[in-house]
Amino acid sequence: MKRFLGITLGVLTAMGGFVDIGDIVANAQTGARFRMALAWAVVLGVVGICVFAEMAGRVAAVSQRPVFDLVRERLGAGVGLANLLASFFITFLTLTAEIAGVALALQLATDVHYLLWLPLCGLLVWLVIWRVRFESMERIFGLLGLVLIVLAVALWRLEPDWGGLVDSARHPAVPLGEGRPTYFYYAIALFGAAMTPYEVFFFSSGAVEERWSRRDLILNKANVFIGFPLGGMLSLALMGLTATVFAPVGIGPDHLSTVALPVSVALGKVGLALVIVGFFAATFGAALETGLSAGYTVSQYFGWPWGKRFAPREASRFHVVVLVSILVAVLFGLTAVDPIKVTEYSIVLSAAALPLTYVPILLVANDPDYMGDLVNRRLSNVLGTVYLVLLVLVALVTIPLMVVTKAGA
Amino acid sequence: MTDPGGAPAGRRLLLGRQLLDHQIVDQDGRLAGKVDDVELTLPEDRDHGRPVVTALLSGRGALASRLGGPLGRLASVLSRRILPDPCDADGDADPDAPDGRIWFGDVTDLGNHVTVAVDAADLATDAVEQAVRRTFVDRIPGAKEPGA
Repeated sequence: MKRFLGITLGVLTAMGGFVDIGDIVANAQTGARFRMALAWAVVLGVVGICVFAEMAGRVAAVSQRPVFDLVRERLGAGVGLANLLASFFITFLTLTAEIAGVALALQLATDVHYLLWLPLCGLLVWLVIWRVRFESMERIFGLLGLVLIVLAVALWRLEPDWGGLVDSARHPAVPLGEGRPTYFYYAIALFGAAMTPYEVFFFSSGAVEERWSRRDLILNKANVFIGFPLGGMLSLALMGLTATVFAPVGIGPDHLSTVALPVSVALGKVGLALVIVGFFAATFGAALETGLSAGYTVSQYFGWPWGKRFAPREASRFHVVVLVSILVAVLFGLTAVDPIKVTEYSIVLSAAALPLTYVPILLVANDPDYMGDLVNRRLSNVLGTVYLVLLVLVALVTIPLMVVTKAGA
Repeated sequence: MTDPGGAPAGRRLLLGRQLLDHQIVDQDGRLAGKVDDVELTLPEDRDHGRPVVTALLSGRGALASRLGGPLGRLASVLSRRILPDPCDADGDADPDAPDGRIWFGDVTDLGNHVTVAVDAADLATDAVEQAVRRTFVDRIPGAKEPGA
């Protein structure tokens, strides 16, 4: 059991990355519009995040250095600051969306409008960060998020045309009526969602919070290679669900309640209740992940004490950054900005900032001064380099594609 | 290594690669800011002396002035506005106030971190931490205990 609980960091990180509010809707939409023709983008993203999260976790375990520490050191103060501004902005946008996502899940359960829930959700997120120990936090929300496995169960119960789904995944084609730019825009959205930078900020900082050392490298691998593929599997299950239920009738789900519909079709009220609990846990987990990451990035750039392993007063500036971020996020959310649009934008924008975060990880993972004999093996370097090239290409085409497709409309 | 007149033997250090922007850790392992800049002193007699690394700069606008440009200037102005200043209104410096300098002689280890033999509480970057703690964080219930 203890061993099993050891991987909740990876599970929570992946949930926050793969099945947060924006992805829940983005995956559902791509399933309905493209069936499984974009499954490859999720798989590509899972492999990419595994490669870099494993490196980041290993660096953190061996040298106690989280990612943003490395960013400043390797990119220098100026470029590091540019990355900080971009990453912080993306993380903040996502935080706004996630807090609203928690409120949307509550609206689904209670029929009380989400804007009324929003301040309470913000307060709850802050309270957990302020008072709950890191390990307890990751266990509660990591395990609760596993309820989303109900998505896979629902897909199985629907007895979909498995052959057709697999076929559309293996021979991806742009469906009639959809433009090629739109197809690639969604591909980038899915890829970017899998590789959002706050996942490595949170994962590597979590490893330091939990005081991982060289002895925990197996734990690091288990977290990475179980957590992220699990997150990817859940997003594929969601895609499969909407491909089965919505694609044939041409409905595009653009709201959380529509996304939950196929589950209640398959599993009735119990399924619906479970999926709402799952949505709540996943968005809440993502809110914790992004809220903490806001504090982690700023503190690690400036070298301030950070983290939940100390009493809050020992990391005052860190906690102020977190508190102010949550507060502003709630206020921004209260302007009734569409949370789903916000995450979609932030994911695509983050695709443009990704190389600046992943380059320093790759550099330090190869530096024997830090890593001793635990530097990257050849496979990690080959994959890391291939992904960096890919990330740069994605970064270059992201913004133009966003403009051309009017953000996937 | 810190001996200015020493022979060229000994460990060599690349300022940009191995010192600048590295994490500073105090004698108790507390995170105590970054190496924002490095101060060298040139000897008056250039023919016989060598330049000496005298101090690491951390906090107190060192980063902002190093960054320069409009953003750096903005940060400078902001930090002077917001952060507590050890000088009083007449500009008389409080001799005990940290000025952002950490004497290089206090550096005890140069690895992934720069370890210094001082208490973080005596450093400039921590003055801000203390101010934030005093004026804000300590007033929130639960600030003194780690999470449950």
